[in-house]
Amino acid sequence: MFYHLSILANSPAAEATDSGIAGTVKEIATNFKILPELFIPQVISFLLVAILLKKFAFGPIQAMLEQRMQRIADGESKLKQIEQQLADSAKHTEEVIAKANADAKRLIEEAKSSASALSEAKAQEAVATAQGIISKAEAAAKAERAQIAADLKREFGRLVANTAQNATGGKLTADQQRAINEESLTRVEA
Amino acid sequence: MRKFFLPFAALFLSATPSFAAGAGHDHLPVHAEELFRLGPVAISNSMLMVWIVAAVIILVAQLATRKISLIPTGLQNFVEWLVESLYNFLEGILGKNLVKKTFWFFGTIFILILFTNWFGLIPGVGTVGQYNPAGFGGDSHDTFRPFLRGGNADLNMTLAMSISFAILWFYWAISENGLVGFFKHIFAPKGKFSGIMAVMMLVVFSFVGLLELVSIIFRPVALSFRLFGNIFAGETTLETMTAITGKWYTAWLPPIPFYFMELLVGLIQALVFMLLTAVFLKLICEHSDEDGHAHH
Repeated sequence: MFYHLSILANSPAAEATDSGIAGTVKEIATNFKILPELFIPQVISFLLVAILLKKFAFGPIQAMLEQRMQRIADGESKLKQIEQQLADSAKHTEEVIAKANADAKRLIEEAKSSASALSEAKAQEAVATAQGIISKAEAAAKAERAQIAADLKREFGRLVANTAQNATGGKLTADQQRAINEESLTRVEA
Repeated sequence: MRKFFLPFAALFLSATPSFAAGAGHDHLPVHAEELFRLGPVAISNSMLMVWIVAAVIILVAQLATRKISLIPTGLQNFVEWLVESLYNFLEGILGKNLVKKTFWFFGTIFILILFTNWFGLIPGVGTVGQYNPAGFGGDSHDTFRPFLRGGNADLNMTLAMSISFAILWFYWAISENGLVGFFKHIFAPKGKFSGIMAVMMLVVFSFVGLLELVSIIFRPVALSFRLFGNIFAGETTLETMTAITGKWYTAWLPPIPFYFMELLVGLIQALVFMLLTAVFLKLICEHSDEDGHAHH
């Protein structure tokens, strides 16, 4: 290193008579060989290398990275969408279940009230039917009783009349016979 | 592998300079040397080195992306990891908006500088070349010309990168701020002032703007000399350490610790160059970038 410094110090460029900034620049350019025929090709070479690296090295890799990032972003977006759909679906299911429960309750209540009304109507009908049967039975019993009573009166009257005929030897008048019948009927009825 | 590589590297490095020195080799020159000409264009050994490194990088990228798939494996995985890490790192500095536009440049800067620095350590670089006892170009001291030279051990290369950045910096700064916004960013007072204070601040910030302009002008110089200086010093150190024993069979030993150091220096210098250029761009675009985010 010291060798090179000594080379620089003793080089013809270092002994240049130019002074000031221009002289210093010239001296540096000479010592380090910053010459247009070397420097300009270096600039072009570097820019060319940068462009080539951009096209053939960074380009495909960055494109792949962006593609992957896009895919991940799409995946995340889809995941969010699916989560939202799942939440919506769960909410919808809950709503449907709640609605079904409410409908079922309403139907049960309706069925209960309907059954109660029907039962009441049927009971009323049964009561009415029973009452009809009872009335009919009472009427039949009454008619039968009246028939029996009439038969009994007639038989009793005949018996009384027969008995009186026998007792009197058949000498009773029609009026007497009627009076006896009436008397006996009155007693039977009492 | 490394156990064999480093001693071999040192032996290889030591062999040719010893031979060359014996034949009158003039140590590592401070500048790159011309190999041949393509018309008016001079092709130097450092330029050849940069092309080789670029070709290797492109080859690796092409191999990695040849059978590119959404689920990466092997080389694709490694290359994607490298690019993605670099992208995320730069995004942290530049912001989402700016990194999209500029990643190609900063990515190139980092990868190219890093691998050029490391390739410069491969045995044969700087030691395999052409020997001319009569001296090249009539210079009797210039008896040996290596075919390859560390790309960043050439001020033309580091200056080319710095100047390219400076031009792109202007382009990006003006496209982000507008021409008026660009000058306002440099000269306009920061903050709200009124009355006599506003006049005073105008004077102060005009002066600060002039200082900023000087700083902007010297940035390429600082960037290029920093990188060149570090890499050239490293190569000189390795060469000196190789020659220090004066015997070819022990020449491999002294440079070994410096090889590790140069691996680290190569990485640090690539990082420093990329970081500084990214920060310079961020500083000039900061205002408009924040505005852009605010608008979005």
